[in-house]
Amino acid sequence: MSPFSCVREREVTELLDRGYWPEACQADLRAHVDTCRMCSDLVVVAQVFQAAHKQTVPEPRLESAGALWWRAQLRRRNAAIEKVGRPILGAQIFALVISVVVAAAVLAWKGDALRAWFADVPKALHLDALVPAAFFSQSSGMASIVLPVLATVALLSGVVVYLATEKQ
Amino acid sequence: MSWESIIPNVLAGEGQPLASSSPAAAMDNEQFAAFYARSARSLWAYLARVSRDPALADDLTQESYVRFLCADHPLDGEVAARRYLFRIATNLLRDYWRRPRSSSIEEMPEELFKAKGGVAQSDSQAMLEPAMALMRPRDRQLLWLAYAEGYSHHEIAEVTGLASASIRLLLFRARRKMARLLRQGGDA
Repeated sequence: MSPFSCVREREVTELLDRGYWPEACQADLRAHVDTCRMCSDLVVVAQVFQAAHKQTVPEPRLESAGALWWRAQLRRRNAAIEKVGRPILGAQIFALVISVVVAAAVLAWKGDALRAWFADVPKALHLDALVPAAFFSQSSGMASIVLPVLATVALLSGVVVYLATEKQ
Repeated sequence: MSWESIIPNVLAGEGQPLASSSPAAAMDNEQFAAFYARSARSLWAYLARVSRDPALADDLTQESYVRFLCADHPLDGEVAARRYLFRIATNLLRDYWRRPRSSSIEEMPEELFKAKGGVAQSDSQAMLEPAMALMRPRDRQLLWLAYAEGYSHHEIAEVTGLASASIRLLLFRARRKMARLLRQGGDA
C-alpha cells in the first residue's frame, strides 16, 4: 500500500466501472470501504462523476460532422497553398536583397560618374527654361531635385507593388 | 504553372483523402462521421465540465475536430484517435486560459451552464457543480478524465501532457479535496 493508494482500490474501481457497486459487492469489501478513507473517497467521487457524465453527454447540440469535415478540408488546402507559397516569397525577398546590394555596389563603384551624369541632366532636358536661374547658382541644385524625385518614384513603386500583391 | 499542378491532392475534390499519414486520410467522410457520433458528446461533456462554460465547450469541440482532421499524426485505432482528440481539446483549453481577456474563466460560467442545461439535476449533480467551482481547472481535468472517462494514469498523462509519475499524486490530492467538498455539500 502506497501513501496515495489502497491495495483494494483496483477492486473498487472495477466494480464502479462495471456498475456493480454496491449491489454486487462482497460484504468484506464494503466493510473495507467503510473504514478506508481512500476507498470511500474513490466511491464518493467516482459515483458523482459517472452520474455527471451520463447527465452531461446528451446535452450538446452538435455541429454536423460534414460541416467540420468541410472546414478541415478548407484549412488543409489553405495551409498547403501557404506552404507552397513560402519558397516563392523567400525567392522574392532574396532577389530584392540582391538587387539592393548590386545597386549599392554600382553606386559606390561608379558614384563619380553618376554624379557627373546627374549634373548634365538639366542641360540635356533644358530644365533651365523651366526652373528659375537662381536655382542653378548652387552647384548641387540639380541633384537636390532629381534625387528626391527618383527616390519618391521608387518609394511609390514599392507601395504600388505591395498593394497589388496584397490584393491578390 | 497552376496551383493544381503543384499540389493536385490538395486542390482535388472535397471528401478525398489528402495524405496517407494523417487522420483525415485514415478516415473518409463517413468514417469520420461515425467516429464523431461516438466521441463528440463525451468530448463536449469534458470541455463543458472542466471549463464550466457550455458556449466555450461548443467552440472548442468544433475546433478540436478540425485540428484533429488537419493533424499529421498517424493514429493506431479509435482508442488512440480518441485520446489524441482529448489531448487537442486539453491544449485548446489551456491556450484559452492563458489568453489575456477582460473576464476570467473562473468568473464566468456557472449560471450559463445551468441556464442552458435545462435538465433536472439530481442531488449529486447539485453538489457537484459548486464543488467543481472550488477546484482548480487542472484538478477538474484530472478528475473528469479519471472518473467520468475512465482513463488510466498513463492515458491521463498523454492527454494532459503531465508526467505520468505525478498523475497518481495529483489525482490523489484532487480526489481527496473533491470528496471532502462533496461530503460537505459543496460548501468549502
